[in-house]
Amino acid sequence: MSIARWENALREVTRVPGVLGALIISADDGLVVAESSMDELATADVAALSAALILRASRCMSAMGKGAPGSVHLVGDAGALLAVAGPAPLWLVAVAHGDAELGRVRLLLRDFAVVLA
Amino acid sequence: MNDLPATPGRHGFAFLELGERLRQRGQFAAAASVASAGLSRYPSVADAHDLLARIRADQGDDAGAVAAWHAALECDPVHIGARKGLAFVAFRAHDFVNAERHLDLAATQAPHDASVLAALDRVRAAARQRPGDESPEPGDPGSGLILYDMQGLRLAGSIDQDSDDADADAAAATGAGLTSESVRVARLLQLGAVRHLIIEAADARVIMMPLTADAALLLHRGATTPLGRLLALGSRATVAARAWLERMA
Repeated sequence: MSIARWENALREVTRVPGVLGALIISADDGLVVAESSMDELATADVAALSAALILRASRCMSAMGKGAPGSVHLVGDAGALLAVAGPAPLWLVAVAHGDAELGRVRLLLRDFAVVLA
Repeated sequence: MNDLPATPGRHGFAFLELGERLRQRGQFAAAASVASAGLSRYPSVADAHDLLARIRADQGDDAGAVAAWHAALECDPVHIGARKGLAFVAFRAHDFVNAERHLDLAATQAPHDASVLAALDRVRAAARQRPGDESPEPGDPGSGLILYDMQGLRLAGSIDQDSDDADADAAAATGAGLTSESVRVARLLQLGAVRHLIIEAADARVIMMPLTADAALLLHRGATTPLGRLLALGSRATVAARAWLERMA
């Protein structure tokens, strides 16, 4: 799948009302691989912070004797960050307002992760 | 396997019998090979998907087993074996609600099947013995609930009945790191105060919820637990944990 097709798929996620941006990141180094977002979203920050969160989630799952995370959803009072594992080390990440349809965003990211693989 | 007949013989599909014999002998790789070859020829035979699912379950591949049993139900929506299998996997993951649901559906289709009715009794008995599943309590070692402070010290709880204190301490220490990172990410991305963080894996779903500025909880359930239910259980655990913290103060 080409970068242009990745960006098209990310745009589909971003079209969900309330989604500020969607990106593919490399969880190993916290860098943006592809993105589609509104100007207000600092995607480089999102990538770095998502990678750190995924690392913490992986450590926690390992300590609990559970498998590696396939997705990580952080939900706050005003918004949410959803991350779904693609082919390693890639992860799909979306940032949304609190009133966005997070269930739909999660499913879109999961579908896209399959295609990405 | 290339010379499989196009239609079942007088006694049904021979590969099902062969695959089942191999499975019962513990020759799982050979059994899976026979089942997969049969499925490539007869993809709409629900019993073949059921056979492959049972082999995967024997191999400990619950996610693969669940996928195969769902495929069996697509071929035959009233397949009793698939319902029993899905119930078995849910039961093994301590997800008694889903186990009971699948067995209820099986019992609807086969109301006189003694094995289904016996399994339903076992699931309901296990669910009664695990009241913490509906209202996780910090003091219940089977509730899958761990409370910890932000220094990473465990306040109460354990991972499960099979784990020891060292495992729970390690989970608490990494849980505190996860909570701190969640708060930092939420602040920097302007997501507001953290409500919860959910981690999905092939074998489990885990929810982290802050309790106070100094404490948080981790709660885990099986991979088949619906996210909404996990969230509801997490909310109940939060209430119980806050009450526990107040008693300890």
